[in-house]
Amino acid sequence: MAASSWIGRPVPRIEDRPLIQGLGRYVSDIQLPNQWTLVLVRSPHAHARIRAVDVTEAQRLPGVFYVATATDDEVFRRPLPGMSPIAPPVLAYERVYYVGQPVVAILAENRYVAEDAADLVKVQYEPLPSVTNVEHALKGDLLLHPELGSNIVDHVSYRRGAGHEALNQADVVVQVTLRMGRVSAQPMEPRGIAAIYHPADDLLTVYHATQSVHRAQERIAEFLGMPTSQVRVIAPDVGGGFGVKNGTYPEEALVTYFARHWGHPVKWTGDRFEEFLGTYQEREQTHHATLGVKKDGTIVALVDTYYQDNGAFPGGGIMVSRNTARNLMGPYRIPHFAIDGYTVLTNKVPQAPYRGAGRPQGHYVIERLLDRAADTLGLDRAEIRLRNLVRPEDLPYDTGIPDLVYDSGNYPEVFRDLLDLVDLPAFRREQAEARQRGVRLGLGLAAYVEISAGFGFEGARLVLSDNGTVTLYTGATNQGQGHRTSLAQILADTLGLGLEDITVVEGDTAGIPRGIGTFGSRTMIMAGNATHMAGERLIEAAKPWAAELLEAHRDDIVFDAGHFFVKGVPSRSVNWRDLTERLKAAGSAPLTGEEYFSSNVATYGFGAHAVIVEIDEATLQLRIQRYLIVHDSGTVVNPLLTNGQVIGGTIQGLGSALWEEMQFNEDGQPLTTSFLDYLLPAAVESPEIEIHHRDYRAPGNPFGFKGVGEAGIIPSQAVILAAVEDAYRDIQLRLDYAPVTPKRLFATVAEGGNRA
Amino acid sequence: MIPMTLTVNGQSYQLTVEPRWLLADVLREQLHLTGTHLGCEHGVCGACTVLWDGRPVRSCLTLAVTADGANILTIEGLAAEGILHPVQEAFWQEHALQCGFCTPGFILTAVHLLQENPEPTREEIREALAGNLCRCTGYQHIVNAVQRAAAALSDNHGHAPSGQ
Repeated sequence: MAASSWIGRPVPRIEDRPLIQGLGRYVSDIQLPNQWTLVLVRSPHAHARIRAVDVTEAQRLPGVFYVATATDDEVFRRPLPGMSPIAPPVLAYERVYYVGQPVVAILAENRYVAEDAADLVKVQYEPLPSVTNVEHALKGDLLLHPELGSNIVDHVSYRRGAGHEALNQADVVVQVTLRMGRVSAQPMEPRGIAAIYHPADDLLTVYHATQSVHRAQERIAEFLGMPTSQVRVIAPDVGGGFGVKNGTYPEEALVTYFARHWGHPVKWTGDRFEEFLGTYQEREQTHHATLGVKKDGTIVALVDTYYQDNGAFPGGGIMVSRNTARNLMGPYRIPHFAIDGYTVLTNKVPQAPYRGAGRPQGHYVIERLLDRAADTLGLDRAEIRLRNLVRPEDLPYDTGIPDLVYDSGNYPEVFRDLLDLVDLPAFRREQAEARQRGVRLGLGLAAYVEISAGFGFEGARLVLSDNGTVTLYTGATNQGQGHRTSLAQILADTLGLGLEDITVVEGDTAGIPRGIGTFGSRTMIMAGNATHMAGERLIEAAKPWAAELLEAHRDDIVFDAGHFFVKGVPSRSVNWRDLTERLKAAGSAPLTGEEYFSSNVATYGFGAHAVIVEIDEATLQLRIQRYLIVHDSGTVVNPLLTNGQVIGGTIQGLGSALWEEMQFNEDGQPLTTSFLDYLLPAAVESPEIEIHHRDYRAPGNPFGFKGVGEAGIIPSQAVILAAVEDAYRDIQLRLDYAPVTPKRLFATVAEGGNRA
Repeated sequence: MIPMTLTVNGQSYQLTVEPRWLLADVLREQLHLTGTHLGCEHGVCGACTVLWDGRPVRSCLTLAVTADGANILTIEGLAAEGILHPVQEAFWQEHALQCGFCTPGFILTAVHLLQENPEPTREEIREALAGNLCRCTGYQHIVNAVQRAAAALSDNHGHAPSGQ
């Protein structure tokens, strides 16, 4: 890159000025003229028959416009679009399947009145026995949806080599049941959606806290029976997504239907309680995993059968379960494997991708197995990793999972760099000294591959404005990633413009006809490359005009750093502003460039984490003393933003390793439905994260971009459990459940440490 | 309905509010100052923090009528005539926000901290921000920003915006 390149510079974000002045515009900030507020009455039961719903009193309350139940109209009994093989009706009909499922919809003048009305709704339920764990669901004595014939809604299976049989070739076989608790994404802005219908044009405009405006547009159009051209979806500022603002939800169908049906603007803003009840959750899986190794620690075979407690409907959970299988190899060479993953339905809110979406689950299993195998063999936990990491000479390395071929980097070198940074011998000395003071120190190590993108497309549409600036439209939406800056940096390099000359418009279906959205760390890879391609197209479109101005043949025009000139004569050139003047004078349409980058090649960032935990011998109070990351980001567009992603992801991961867990009682009643019970990491307990970059260009896309949104969260549960175990090596502590909450740590240590 | 007077960002308003309306809702829906965000509505996340006579309060737990006669500063009132407050400037420079939803609460809490303690350590900053939740940043850049703002404020000693 040239010295003047925007790519690679830690530019503060273009989007920040309004946000730091309270001038952001989130869905909840949008006040449509005379808007009605939607509030939902949700099921208090995990499984029940609805005997009767009485809305008479609610309907009579002044300020209430309409109260809807599933029996009122066929539309409320339609299945949600975009979920298969089974989807819930928009409002529960005859039965409820999880606590939080919407049963009654209320439209009122404001939320105060609507919630008063909700209190007046009387629903008679006949509670039914519920299925609240996988073990029960698998018995099959109670089928949630008899029409499916089973509580298992998906089975993913992969084999390599001799599979299970290969365990016979191993010297040592370790077997363990590993569990992960349920977690909830909890973006700081709860979900929300508002819609206004313009009858004269039969046009529905939707303001949506979504990660994908085009997918939302398709679902809404399908549900309402409208052409997609008549549905415009805009994602204004979105207050965090982390995967859960990407799926199909009842509120989307209700708000858009009501807005069109009543010809009246309607808005729903979820509150935090609803974020715990009705927003999809993740991570809950049980793995029965076996690893066969040689005496020297070399992996022979991995066998894993796992079950995902998916809740009452698929949500987006099937994808999570399948992606778990694709992550079980981690960065290691595993010649034989047999993997079976089952997605199992229970009476809980559904699962859907949450940051990581199978990546943390798969890595958790392989990393824990390696620790267990090392401990069994009496081998250092670092050493067993070095013996199994994919080596540079193995690249490109076919993992044995279809379409997953690791392609870049140096895994052992990066892992050794991490060990050097930790200074293992010094740590062991410190660990022994601390013990004398009643402080237990523990070191955890974990490595990872961050598989990103590898499917679909994303586009960029450029329009050269009359003042010589360029507007970029893309279907990739923003929930805090900072694309308005990073995509502008890419385009500034391509077009030789300054950042101030570029405006990025994301999250508006009116801006670009097609798009997929922002999730799975795909935007820089897909929209980033598309942005450059669109820029090239704009340059080509400009060349005939430049040729005219320079009185030359278009084939002789070259473009460099914002200037068009005749080959060999850079002293006489025209720039974008000159071209727009010429276009204006000629009465020509503005120049545009539109390109879609489409690729089935995934990217493979990688790296390793080390954490040192400090546990008070007497109180078991845990503090993170040090957290180190050596990380490959591929080509970095903006180091400030990249590090922000990695640090943010890591701290989120610490939440699901140490504090965060959705708990349910035996009847399927969620017990952790506020920030007082479900504990997000806050500033005091969050450590400083040290990041060391070892960036290798991705060979699979033109700019060499890789995903960076999930690197932080992938190894967090594995690395924390490993560190806590290390602190209690003397009692051979075994942790098979993430998160290791203070309560769980206390119970395990009190039992003498060995629960395996 | 109760009549009340509220001074917000230096401007005085005569309002009529229902006794049960929260300060956050009055600011957002009656005064259209939507920079005050509602993150949890149970007093934990701090996104709704405003300064009441210079002290941070949770506007989601405050009944508006109890603020009769109060002097409230919201995030919209912090920048003076288009000049960002040093805390805002530092949040920008240090990439201390991603989605930005929690940011107004963090900034106002930090403004108050730096009035009480102009040279806080990183630990003291973390302690002071413990009542605000951020799901995106992992806090590290926020702590960097508060340190940067502290340095800027001490450099500008005497003519920094006070944040009331």
